[in-house]
Amino acid sequence: MVTPEPGGRDMFKILKGAVGDGVGARLGTLSLPRRRPVDTPNFIGVTARGAVPHLTPDNVGKRSDLGGVYIALEDFMETTRTKTSPPLLEMKSESVEPLHLFTATPSHMFTVLGARRHPAINSPLGNAKDSISIFTSTGFQKLTNQAYRQSVHAVRPDVVIPLADMTYSQSKTFTETKRRTNVTSSKRQLRMVERTEDWLAEFFEVPEDGSKKDPPSVFAPLLPVSYPTQWEYFNQLEQDFAAKLSGLAVYDVDVLPDLSNHGPLVSLPRLSLDYTATPQEILRQVQLGVDICTVSFLNSISDAGIALSFTFPPPSDSSTGIRPLGINMWSPEHEAAVKPLVEGCECYACTNHHRAFLHHLLNAKEMLGWTLLQVHNYQVLGDFFAGIRASLNADPPTFEKGCDEFTRVYDSELPTGTGTRPRARGYHFKSRGGDDKINRPAWEKYGSESDPALAGEMAGLAVTGAAAEGKETPLVPDADAAELDRQGFAEIAK
Amino acid sequence: MFRRMASTIASASSAALTFDLVARCSTTRARASVLTLPHGPVQLPIFMPVATQASLKGLTPEQLEGTGCRLCLNNTYHLGLKPGQEILALVGGAHKLQGWNHNLLTDSGGFQMVSLLTLANITEEGVRFLSPHDGTPMLLTPEHSISLQNTIGSDIIMQLDDVLVTTSPDRKRMREAMERSIRWLDRCIAAHKNMDTQNLFCIIQGGLDTEMRKECCREMVARNTPGIAIGGLSGGEAKDDFCRVVRTCTELLPELKPRYVMGIGYPEDLVVSVALGADMFDCVWPTRTARFGSAITKYGVIKIKSSEYANDFGPIEEGCGCACCKEGEGGLGITRAFVHHNVAKETVAAHLLTIHNVWYQLNLMKEARDAIIADEYPAFLRQFFANIYPEKANYPKWAIDALRTVGVDLLSDNNI
Repeated sequence: MVTPEPGGRDMFKILKGAVGDGVGARLGTLSLPRRRPVDTPNFIGVTARGAVPHLTPDNVGKRSDLGGVYIALEDFMETTRTKTSPPLLEMKSESVEPLHLFTATPSHMFTVLGARRHPAINSPLGNAKDSISIFTSTGFQKLTNQAYRQSVHAVRPDVVIPLADMTYSQSKTFTETKRRTNVTSSKRQLRMVERTEDWLAEFFEVPEDGSKKDPPSVFAPLLPVSYPTQWEYFNQLEQDFAAKLSGLAVYDVDVLPDLSNHGPLVSLPRLSLDYTATPQEILRQVQLGVDICTVSFLNSISDAGIALSFTFPPPSDSSTGIRPLGINMWSPEHEAAVKPLVEGCECYACTNHHRAFLHHLLNAKEMLGWTLLQVHNYQVLGDFFAGIRASLNADPPTFEKGCDEFTRVYDSELPTGTGTRPRARGYHFKSRGGDDKINRPAWEKYGSESDPALAGEMAGLAVTGAAAEGKETPLVPDADAAELDRQGFAEIAK
Repeated sequence: MFRRMASTIASASSAALTFDLVARCSTTRARASVLTLPHGPVQLPIFMPVATQASLKGLTPEQLEGTGCRLCLNNTYHLGLKPGQEILALVGGAHKLQGWNHNLLTDSGGFQMVSLLTLANITEEGVRFLSPHDGTPMLLTPEHSISLQNTIGSDIIMQLDDVLVTTSPDRKRMREAMERSIRWLDRCIAAHKNMDTQNLFCIIQGGLDTEMRKECCREMVARNTPGIAIGGLSGGEAKDDFCRVVRTCTELLPELKPRYVMGIGYPEDLVVSVALGADMFDCVWPTRTARFGSAITKYGVIKIKSSEYANDFGPIEEGCGCACCKEGEGGLGITRAFVHHNVAKETVAAHLLTIHNVWYQLNLMKEARDAIIADEYPAFLRQFFANIYPEKANYPKWAIDALRTVGVDLLSDNNI
């Protein structure tokens, strides 16, 4: 399919704008060069180490409607004694962008490159005048603005978010900390703004070789500090860089209403990197004028074993009381349920499998459980945004009414899973002294001191890295004798 | 299946299976055939990947189908524990549980029982063990195993056998185990309720003792099961002994029945066993090694986890046709560098290598089959070993010796 390649600001078309001052929910289309156009409001996937967790690229391409993914440069920057230059930066490719090629991102999808993961782990080292602190699988490291620019130049993302001086909240429960930063010192906040201004100016300096073809679209960061603290930065964006910007990366959606003071920035697409703990928060972001969301709860809700079950607009029959936002697939009530996770859902998991299998997979700690939940949950989000767009497109728009109903009909929090999660790796979180293990050790060989993994190997069982710790394949029954007898597994000996 | 159908030399059918012999190698004992099971035909020789708990390590059934797989394993022991017989019955069997519309094979569950439960011991009634939860003495009988497999509904079910490591020095115990396995086969046959939809295979025992194996073959062949397995191998015995036992058994087995050597999966073992007349194999090794970051290629196993692949932007294997490696339409363009980047970090790397390794194993058997049909299997064997070992001096002696017994000299230069 050949479509004319939109350049600069033409790539975002607002089809139906917000009423009044131009800040509010709006309908649009984002068409990045060479990529499939994306109708907005919408969401993009958030990757870990270049992969949407648990989904191979074929499943991402075929089994999700994702138009783009967020990729963090820090996921690729680890260095060791033998490996001093990150392989991603060594990849040379003319025809395909190295970032696309390295991560095997399907070609119709766009990549958004930022420096830090989303959400990010806060560094104890802090940022410096010309660098930020990043967290790689081999530890904390410095990333200078210059190195970031060079990396962007080398890997050629479709969209890049220039470096921002940010400090992240350590709290894992995002609902408690509305703001993405826990910086309270006003002096520090001002310095964040100043550095981000300086770094952005540097970012736009023409590279020495001047040969930059197809530069990525730049989405300037809007900081998670109050408007009075960063209004001068907004002025700078408006006056000096508006023509060079293709969009805004919003780290705190509460500054969006103040954008109306900066006319030239209003028509830019807005990518939200604010936290979302619930779909209600997504709706609020859309109400404030966010065009593209990054749904920070999505990957973790699948890990928790929850199949999302909300729709927009919500179902109309109000007789059932408060509806849950998702279904805990760990719950034993699903063990023999031969029905889709969500009736009517058209995702691969719901059309090919049933709750009983999902429950079994989680219970057996089979990786496919999390894969199928990801497929389903991404579909639910995709349908949710399609519903939002349809309501904005309706004449008259029904979006606001839908939001009110959604808040009334659905529970205000996502359910928590009751089972164990997939293994967390060092780069996923930073443990602090005294933290409990995320998962309890699952299996130990009965009545023996010997190594369960070895026993598994000897029995020809599948033993993985996780099972090497006795975690994956059940080695001994966890039911008592009466239960095994009832189940027909064996009988109680006479 | 899209290939030209080779014509059938001879056929035999039982209630739930048809075996069509398509070609015999004129030198070795290798044969090509079509085994038609209740969920469709499969081409032999075949490698069967192991989906222990009704799932092949993160692959969707659709992705597994994409590797060409039409017959895979589930483990009875694991399904008996989770989700358990009651749930399996309510759901309607293992095919329905996992959304797999092709064939399934289940083992008896006895092997895991004996290997994993320290306190298990075997008596004439069955496997006795103490419930790990409350210490209650329990008993798993051939009847339990068959009942469970009947509920699972797998296309091929296995008899409960008295498994003993082949390297056991106790000849008396070995004979007892062999003879008991025959008696248990009779009990399994009597207990089997779904003769028309499930095929019960016997398992030949007898350790490394050629005479005992022969005796077991004669007794079990007389029971006329639709297929025959050679069991108790792959337990750490010398490769020479392994090959001798397989050769001894295949010599005595009827030509028009599938022969399944249990627990075999290294590519060298597969191609040699095919030459010795075996048709079916299973092993967790290809999928397990994938999760540890290793890829099977025709030039040997490579550890992609190793730092030398960090900057390797080539495919997992040049020229491979799996979804990860193949070029053009439908190819994913996976590089070794990307797999290396995520091995032991993101599950996606394990899924990708699993797709590759399963495809490799299935394709190896497909190429062997094509070579048998073209009557070029000796040349196939020579090329196979030449790819892995650049120096003939490094060829494994057991393989050279085993293939000599079926008329192939790996060290000679003809046909290559």
